[in-house]
Amino acid sequence: MSAVAAKPQAGGAMNPTAMAVGVVMLLIILALCWYVSPGAGLMALVGVIIGGVLIGFGTHFVPVGGAPAAMGQAPGIATGVAMLAAGAGLAGLFGGAWAAEQGLVVATITGGVGGGLMMAITCMMVNFVYVFGMGIPAASGKVLYDPITGDSQKEFKSQGTEGHGLPFVSFVGGVIGGFLAGAGGTIIYLQLLSLYEATLPAVMGLPPAQVIPIAVAAAGMFAVGLFLVNAVLTAYNITGTIEGPHDPKFKRWPRAIVASAVASALCGFVAILIVAI
Amino acid sequence: MEQIVFGIGITALTGALATIAGSAEDTESNIGSQGDPNSQVQLAPQMGFVHRIFNKAIAGEPPAYGLWCALGAGLAWAFMAMQINAVLAIVLGCVLAVLVQGVYATTAYLGRTASLAKFGQPVYVDILKSMTSVTMAHAFIAIFCTVTLCHLINGALGHPFPLPLLGLIWGIALGAAGSATGNPYYGKERQYQNQKFGAGVPISASGNIVRYAEAGERNSLDNGWFTAKIGGSASGVCFGLIVFLEIWRTILFEKISAGWGAIIVGILMILIFTVIDRYIEVWARKNYGPYTEAKVAS
Repeated sequence: MSAVAAKPQAGGAMNPTAMAVGVVMLLIILALCWYVSPGAGLMALVGVIIGGVLIGFGTHFVPVGGAPAAMGQAPGIATGVAMLAAGAGLAGLFGGAWAAEQGLVVATITGGVGGGLMMAITCMMVNFVYVFGMGIPAASGKVLYDPITGDSQKEFKSQGTEGHGLPFVSFVGGVIGGFLAGAGGTIIYLQLLSLYEATLPAVMGLPPAQVIPIAVAAAGMFAVGLFLVNAVLTAYNITGTIEGPHDPKFKRWPRAIVASAVASALCGFVAILIVAI
Repeated sequence: MEQIVFGIGITALTGALATIAGSAEDTESNIGSQGDPNSQVQLAPQMGFVHRIFNKAIAGEPPAYGLWCALGAGLAWAFMAMQINAVLAIVLGCVLAVLVQGVYATTAYLGRTASLAKFGQPVYVDILKSMTSVTMAHAFIAIFCTVTLCHLINGALGHPFPLPLLGLIWGIALGAAGSATGNPYYGKERQYQNQKFGAGVPISASGNIVRYAEAGERNSLDNGWFTAKIGGSASGVCFGLIVFLEIWRTILFEKISAGWGAIIVGILMILIFTVIDRYIEVWARKNYGPYTEAKVAS
């Protein structure tokens, strides 16, 4: 059996002890934040955790085939899962940050739609290249029938491959993943921005108008950093490739939720400490 | 009204710059084998297929372009803070970023190829000399266009993010779009030109990349020439659409219904691309047909 065809045996199982340890770590970080900055800091940290969890969960939807997909040996987009999710999410963050003045709800959805739009264009262009550039139809290697359209998949797989291109369910998964990642990143940015705008004038001894560029830049950098942290955690969870929500690896998401929550809490706590101490 | 017309003009310009950036990025990464097909370039000598293909893949395209565009944008921003003309500042910033890219490409090629010495793969100094300068030229176009569009977004359209952060964000998005769209065309259609058209590469053929050209041995300039026609163009269209539509919906529709206008237009565009994608998928199934007869489940 080749490396591509091999099904991951270890790594799929949930470890209740590790998940319990993760939850305890999360509670400890929340308690530390409450001790250091009980009001605005704690609220910002909760927002950061929610955003991080959305990014981690959303990345599971993004269909990424890695190197085998670049040779038409496996379905998905031919790049790294963390990089693609970050690209989509950051495109969403760009839109969400632009709409920050419209309020949390509108900005978050704007960010989500930005991420979803980036993925929709990318997934469409991937199928365009496969079909019109390489003459290869889309076929899933993980299911016999597309869960959304009901199209049969097996006979459209070329010989010696695990499938290729993006079946419709993978396209939809990509859009959902981009939406969640874009929305999550925007929530992180907005929470940190409001915290920095409120606290930086006192910390730096400057008028509020002068700290806004610093607050925007710092919140944006932390949002980008948290994107990469959560996307890479998910990449480990799915061992590098996934076809989308129909892939058996998708069922591993609870583990990534806990890991993303703990990692986001720790990173968010550091982001809060720079203005809380 | 004047504000909107100005915004549309800037949006069109950013879209055009993004299209050029996407095309140059994919061609640059294909010449350098920086996308996922680098695995085959690295694998080939281990399977006994010594080649003259350039390989500088020590990072994925998104983080590499995130670095170079952030570097170009950051340096341009610093030069502008020194009261240097914006056009000159962007050019200088991008030139310095491209020098970093050149150092990266050189060390990456030497490191990756030297690690294959035990399989008999030589380090070709002529390849290093001729390929590195070409990747640098393409990288300059991609970085310059991306930094310029970031400057327009920041300076003319008033996005709150500072220029270096915009460079990082759009650099990563550029790499993501370029690698997603362009990699299959380089990996399947060029590296495995000896395999059947209209089918994926059988896993058993891994490593057996095409090593000979019409005359002599194939090198990465041939690959850049080939992939620029479809892979590069498609990557350019992909990144151009992403940048143009994202800014266009914001500029024109953000003021409608307190931001909901841009959201609704964004959702409508997602639905339009969904319909197009489904059409392409069904068209391929009907026109190309299955590889094997479908078996009816009993």
